[in-house]
Amino acid sequence: MKAIVDRFLEGALAAILGGMVLVVSWQVLTRFLLRQPSSITEELVRFALVWLALLGASYGFGQRAHLAIDLLPRGPKLDLIVRLAVAVFASVVLVFGGWRLVDITLALGQSSAALQVERGYVYVVLPLSGLLILFYIVIDFHERAR
Amino acid sequence: MDPVHTLLLLGIFITLLVLGVPIAVGIALSALVTLLFTMGLETASITVAQRIATGLDRFTLLAIPFFILSGQLMNRGGSARRLVDLARALVGMLPGGLAYVNIVAGMLFGAISGSAAAAVAAVGGFMIPRMREQGYDTSFSAAVNVSSATTSLIIPPSNILIVYALASGGVSIAALFVAGYLPGLLVGIALMAVAGFIAKKRGYPVDAPVAPREIFRRFLAALPSLFLVVLVMGGIIGGTFTATEAGAIAVVYSFVLAVPVYREVTLRDIPKVLVDAAVTTSIVLLLVGTSMAFSWVLAYERIQQFVGESFALLGGSPIATLLSINVILLVVGTVLDMTQAVLIFTPILLPVVQSIGVDPVHFGIVMVLNLCIGLCTPPVGSVLFLGCSVSGARITDVSRALIPLYIAMVVALLLVTFLPDIALALPRWLGI
Repeated sequence: MKAIVDRFLEGALAAILGGMVLVVSWQVLTRFLLRQPSSITEELVRFALVWLALLGASYGFGQRAHLAIDLLPRGPKLDLIVRLAVAVFASVVLVFGGWRLVDITLALGQSSAALQVERGYVYVVLPLSGLLILFYIVIDFHERAR
Repeated sequence: MDPVHTLLLLGIFITLLVLGVPIAVGIALSALVTLLFTMGLETASITVAQRIATGLDRFTLLAIPFFILSGQLMNRGGSARRLVDLARALVGMLPGGLAYVNIVAGMLFGAISGSAAAAVAAVGGFMIPRMREQGYDTSFSAAVNVSSATTSLIIPPSNILIVYALASGGVSIAALFVAGYLPGLLVGIALMAVAGFIAKKRGYPVDAPVAPREIFRRFLAALPSLFLVVLVMGGIIGGTFTATEAGAIAVVYSFVLAVPVYREVTLRDIPKVLVDAAVTTSIVLLLVGTSMAFSWVLAYERIQQFVGESFALLGGSPIATLLSINVILLVVGTVLDMTQAVLIFTPILLPVVQSIGVDPVHFGIVMVLNLCIGLCTPPVGSVLFLGCSVSGARITDVSRALIPLYIAMVVALLLVTFLPDIALALPRWLGI
């Protein structure tokens, strides 16, 4: 189960980052050839960066890649507190706050300047990454219980 | 400013950090809890979520994944090895060996990138594994890499100096850029002095001197990689493309070098390289986004106003004012990200120093130089974190290894603070 989500996220991350490189290179190329800067590509890669950052961050929680200070010796109790703190962050800020943000932004009908995309869709990655982080925490608990 | 809220903000943050909660999570949660005192749970969570998302939605941040990716391609693709071979032929025989090579490479990379994060990722990505092979302690290598990477924020071009020019309301970017050359060089020399001393004391290996013919051969081997420097620097300085675009061009160029030219990376390896770069990037970006939320709460609590009012109490002595500003910025720099610190504190501190006759260009360099130290210190130091992420060393170990290098940076900071000509002589000479 974890492996499936891992593969999926790896694919998404590679595609987004690779796509960003191609789009920005394309932007430079077209500016030289057509002498016409494209505001569409700039907006596209900025939105892609938000998705890359948050999806990558959730994948990072699954791989235990995030930076923490390790002053205290690790133990099961401390691990529990750390995972609870991450779970509160994921559920309250990302899932709840992010979902309400998507809701409000869609209700306001804010669309982006160049792409005319509803800004709310860009923010969908907030609750999505929150759910992914929660998924990784549950899997982690499950693995430790066995 | 409500002292209870402020203490709460800092108290929760520090407690979570000590417990070992990931730093990005600790920043976000302390911002959330502090906001709960003035707004309901729903508004507070939406605010934090929104600050994270809008904090990440910036074109300049795009340079980070690109330079991380091109650094990884350079490292795996054989470019990094050829550049290190050349640098080793040039300075490897000096006492300080690879530590010198790392610092010089960090300054050179800084001269083309303007982002310490990019310098840490690109230089550290290929230098730290080489230093490990030579028996260097990984924390020491990471410390050298992290501290020398900050020179890229002082040596032009520098994104943070542009931010300062904006925050100060019209200080010349050209003057700031030119003013950065000598202070940046000074920091590099101070770091080399300390790192060289430590490397010598620990008996890290020193290369045998290399024959001129061999130096020339290595130069030719490294030439295609060196051209990346020309491409990026020429483009940015000539105004042909932005730092972000230069990053994308660097990725394309290093891909061409690594895959068809040097044939050290196959197309099959590319997805793995992309995922690795994406994860390194997102660890940093989650910190950026959550720090943005944290700094928004600081602004919301009007902490900057309180600081401004307190300064009037000092009574106008230049030395006392500059010293106390430096102390405050050093403290601020440990908990705030540099961009936020510059944006929050420039409007408050610049009128204070201008009233005692300090040149705004000089002050910009002092501020950036000062905050560079904060970038290398826990609890919040984005360059330190990235350096740890790149090297795989622990934050506590690297911070300890950084202590003598902090001293070198503080000495350089004090020299630049009290000898304004170090910053101002070049722009004055050029008449900017």
